[in-house]
Amino acid sequence: MQIVVAGLSHKTAELALREKLSLFSQEEIARKIKDSPIADVVFLSTCNRFEVYACGFKDGADGPEVLLRFFEGLIGKNPDKEDLYLYSGLEAVEHLLKVASGLDSLVVGETEILGQVKEAYEWAKKEGFTGKIGNILFQRALFVGKKVRSETGISVGQTSVASVAVELAQSIFGRLSESSVLVLGAGQMAELMVRHLSSQKTQKIMVSNRTRDRAETLAQNFKASVLPWENRAEALQEVDIVLASTGAPEAVLTKEMVEKSLKNRRGRSLFMVDIAMPRDIEEAVHTLEHVYLYRLEDLEHIVAKNLEGRASEIQKAKEIIDSKTAEMDEWLKALKEGRELSFKHSNRPKMRRIEASQNKGVVNEK
Amino acid sequence: MSLELITIKMTLAVYSAATALSFVYLAYKDEKWNRWMLNLLGIGIALHLLSFAFRIHSFWQISENRYFLPINTFFGALSYLALAVCAIFFIIESRHRLGILGAFVLPWASLSLGVAVFVASPEISGLVPALQSYWINIHPMVLMSAYAAFGNAFGVGLALLVQEHQIKSRKPIALCYRLPSIEELDNLNYRIIAAAFPILTIGIIMGGVWAENAWGRFWGWDPKETWALITALVYAGYLHMRYLMGLRGKKAIYVSMVGFACVVFTFAGVNFLSELHGYLSKG
Repeated sequence: MQIVVAGLSHKTAELALREKLSLFSQEEIARKIKDSPIADVVFLSTCNRFEVYACGFKDGADGPEVLLRFFEGLIGKNPDKEDLYLYSGLEAVEHLLKVASGLDSLVVGETEILGQVKEAYEWAKKEGFTGKIGNILFQRALFVGKKVRSETGISVGQTSVASVAVELAQSIFGRLSESSVLVLGAGQMAELMVRHLSSQKTQKIMVSNRTRDRAETLAQNFKASVLPWENRAEALQEVDIVLASTGAPEAVLTKEMVEKSLKNRRGRSLFMVDIAMPRDIEEAVHTLEHVYLYRLEDLEHIVAKNLEGRASEIQKAKEIIDSKTAEMDEWLKALKEGRELSFKHSNRPKMRRIEASQNKGVVNEK
Repeated sequence: MSLELITIKMTLAVYSAATALSFVYLAYKDEKWNRWMLNLLGIGIALHLLSFAFRIHSFWQISENRYFLPINTFFGALSYLALAVCAIFFIIESRHRLGILGAFVLPWASLSLGVAVFVASPEISGLVPALQSYWINIHPMVLMSAYAAFGNAFGVGLALLVQEHQIKSRKPIALCYRLPSIEELDNLNYRIIAAAFPILTIGIIMGGVWAENAWGRFWGWDPKETWALITALVYAGYLHMRYLMGLRGKKAIYVSMVGFACVVFTFAGVNFLSELHGYLSKG
């Protein structure tokens, strides 16, 4: 019994190398594993990391050595020491818990990784790759990943400009199902924002661009309508959210235009997002009542704050991970002695002790 | 200490604890605080009703008081007001899941009951003949229920000002994402006032009818009457601005807050001016 993880991630390896590994299909990797002495195994492949977690090795092979050879086979040469990391025993357990909790992610606390760990584990289990230890280890990792996110602020606050904008829109209008959106410009940023907004089932999206063709392309993708560029000021009377990201050299919405539209808005709030450089919307509109103008740097500032907030929760998350790693250690030690402890899925780190008789075969694997 | 006083003090303690929890919930996003706040509020309301029952029991020991409600004193009125604020908040919460607004509403209930317990006298005396009328069970109750609703609207208005300020500042803190949206708060404030305004108006008219019976005139510009009318006019102004002129947001909230200031003055301040309506003059 020896838990070993070998892998490389955005922290250690260049994109080119990570891409090379992500090109292997699940089946290819699975075949290579079957041909190797690795047993009780889960591998995790995302755009940011490629990791192999092994909890057993056939014929008493040396775990770290086997995994090193395995990566050599994948990469086609001896992997650089800096690219690859290798942990065994409790360090490997701790690493998995950190990964599942989002502590090792590019954006601390992001939740996607937990889903990826779950998928990787479920696939491995279905294909019969996992054994007793691997099953317990990954079930615990998923549990800890959820626990850390619910008990610490590590996943609190949006971390992208687009999602912060959507959250602010919700703080102004509540559910966005009755809100309509005016999009000025049809570039990449506009598209990203619209994608986020339309996932909130906004009532209506209108796209307006100086060149109509590009507006039409964007509109088609999101079932939006195209608004003639000249009519943009009039449209202010009826929309709730304005996204501006044109390449215009000067403001395309002036304070005068916005002020005029307010007369017919009956006091309903107007949320304006200007992510253009140079600015599309005159800064002075923010002084108008009911108008909330957020510029790119305002959104970025909120993102930075949220990331800071997450970072300040890392210590708390680590404490949970430490205690759960210690629990896993106890479980592994007991297993060696032929006993099986059972984890209680509660907040208390206590464990019920249950004598197990039929698992001795697994314990003596190595 | 009588059973009434014991239970009313317990009620005050429970309301205060619920208020404290509402602030904890505001600071920490954990649903358990909200659940506890609502549980305590429910217990507080039950205790409060029980205390009222004890008060009615001793009030009716005096034969001329029989079957009239004991809200002729400052104590009785403040206590009923606190109960109504909590009950209305409880109803709004259960319909809209807005426990987060507890911190903006419950302090007023605790304050009202606190003044009743620590300042006003809980003494019970016989009703003067002028007050021995079935109207005493209706007219003040109706008005104070409207006042309690306005108290809730005031809390919602405060939350709106906080939220508006947050978003205008461009540097919203985490609380911003937990409070209801500007539009939701604005609508809620409007709906509470729109519901309470007719109740206020009916209460004032009922007072006129009672005055006609008791004092022989419908309206006499007694300070309480005058201020009740001013209150009604301010809220009518708010509804007019809001509904006909489409004036919303901060300005509308300020007007509704002026209305609430009038409520507080009509309820408490005027007692020192009015001979006929003063709790203190026992008129």
